[in-house]
Amino acid sequence: MKRTFALVLVLAVALMATPALAQDTLEKIKSSGTLVIGTRTGSPPFAYVNRDNQWVGFTIDLVEMLVKPEIEKAVGKPIKVEKKESTPPTRIPLLSSNAVDLIAGTMTDTPQRRESVDFSLTFFYTGAQFMVKKGSPIKGVNDIAGKRIASQQGSTNAKILREKYPQAQLREFPDQPAAFQALLQGQVDAYTNDGIQLYGLKAKAPKPDEWDVVGDFYSEEPYGMAMRKGDAKFKAVVDAGLKNGFESGKYFEIYEKWFGPKGELPYPITPQVKAYLLKQIGK
Amino acid sequence: MNYTFKWSVLWTGQSGQWLLQGLITTLELSAIAWVLAVVLGILSGALRTVPFRPLRWAATFYVEFFRNVPLLVWMFFWYFGVTPLLPRGTQDWLFNHGLEFWAGTIALGVYHGARMSEVIRSGISAIPRTQFEASLAMGLTTLQAYRLVILPVALRLIVPPGTSESLNLLKNSSVALTISVAELTFQTRQIETYTAKAIEAFTAGTLIYLVLCLSISTIMARVERHYAIPGLISRAQAG
Repeated sequence: MKRTFALVLVLAVALMATPALAQDTLEKIKSSGTLVIGTRTGSPPFAYVNRDNQWVGFTIDLVEMLVKPEIEKAVGKPIKVEKKESTPPTRIPLLSSNAVDLIAGTMTDTPQRRESVDFSLTFFYTGAQFMVKKGSPIKGVNDIAGKRIASQQGSTNAKILREKYPQAQLREFPDQPAAFQALLQGQVDAYTNDGIQLYGLKAKAPKPDEWDVVGDFYSEEPYGMAMRKGDAKFKAVVDAGLKNGFESGKYFEIYEKWFGPKGELPYPITPQVKAYLLKQIGK
Repeated sequence: MNYTFKWSVLWTGQSGQWLLQGLITTLELSAIAWVLAVVLGILSGALRTVPFRPLRWAATFYVEFFRNVPLLVWMFFWYFGVTPLLPRGTQDWLFNHGLEFWAGTIALGVYHGARMSEVIRSGISAIPRTQFEASLAMGLTTLQAYRLVILPVALRLIVPPGTSESLNLLKNSSVALTISVAELTFQTRQIETYTAKAIEAFTAGTLIYLVLCLSISTIMARVERHYAIPGLISRAQAG
């Protein structure tokens, strides 16, 4: 018993005493020649594994086409991009432990997260909505009292519902497929997530016509790329990459590729969202 | 590591309350599943040793089928697979009355019942065959021989592996978070969602599991000593 206790103590001390050594990310990339990003495998069209088994997506393209050239300019040599899977509970630890250098998936920029990581400029803007079976009485966030609502655990939506709409019966699933299955079978009456992700899910559903995405945005979900906190040099480079993309129009070309009429998921950019994105670079 | 620890997230805000709720759910889930597992385990473990082939086969089928499929699959099976087979009215009632919890409990109990069964069978096999024969010779029926002689001895023999199996059950209860049961691991993730402090939250969860499991093993070590049959089980002084 005594020995076990000692072991626990050693573990705890080891955890706490890990040196808070701020590493210069650009130096790291320069020496390894690799930018390691943490991204998603099942969030089309942002980052997912497609039918041909390629790991692609809108956010991955932003990294490859906007951020990577900027980093290459900063370190003065060509680099590779290596992708690792990250999920909501693992992404901040992955970043902190230097396992990845940049989280580029579908991470919402929130004040709480800003205490642990730094965010780039916002590269996508969406808000939470509901996915329901066609003809459902649920038309938005005001109709969910007493209803069973599925959400993705660790998401900002679940947090808002819990705090502001406690009358709803929340069922939280660790991933999108399980939550959608629960909706499909009637375990829940609606599934809430960021609107864009629901559209992505609907497009991939076996019978897309059976589902509706309803309701006004009841949350604001600006997506940003996350970096280790306090690395101003690296953040400046990532932001410069995105800024150049907005200015040159390259960003909107990539947007068109994924969300345009012929894209993976048609989702026209609204004037408000475009204005929001451009406002960040003072336009 | 470039990470600022902020352990206070564990006792400020609602974290404490969440951890407590999670702990209670974990204990409820595990306790009910454990009773189910023990009952199924004793029943099928005993049946695997009886001198009647069809019963042995049925018990073997149960054990091999349930222990050789991952627990995660069983969680989905009881939650997504079984529910649609029930009448619509029953489904709706269940949806509003904690279907997640009960599906998780059954999945855990039935899965661990199959594993417990092997533990109990090994306990029974450790008893010399002659004891069973002697019981019959004294005029006991097979049922009485099991109830009065074989099982009481076997259950004493299997306390150590039974404890391991029970601890596994407790820890495996965390798999129920995949079907939305708000148990302890779920709640530690919840803290992460609110505070973005994953390492602190997971450490808290780890320590709670560790303390729980250590307490259970300590209690079981005492149970083992208390019920040991002198001369039957030779063993180094526990401790």
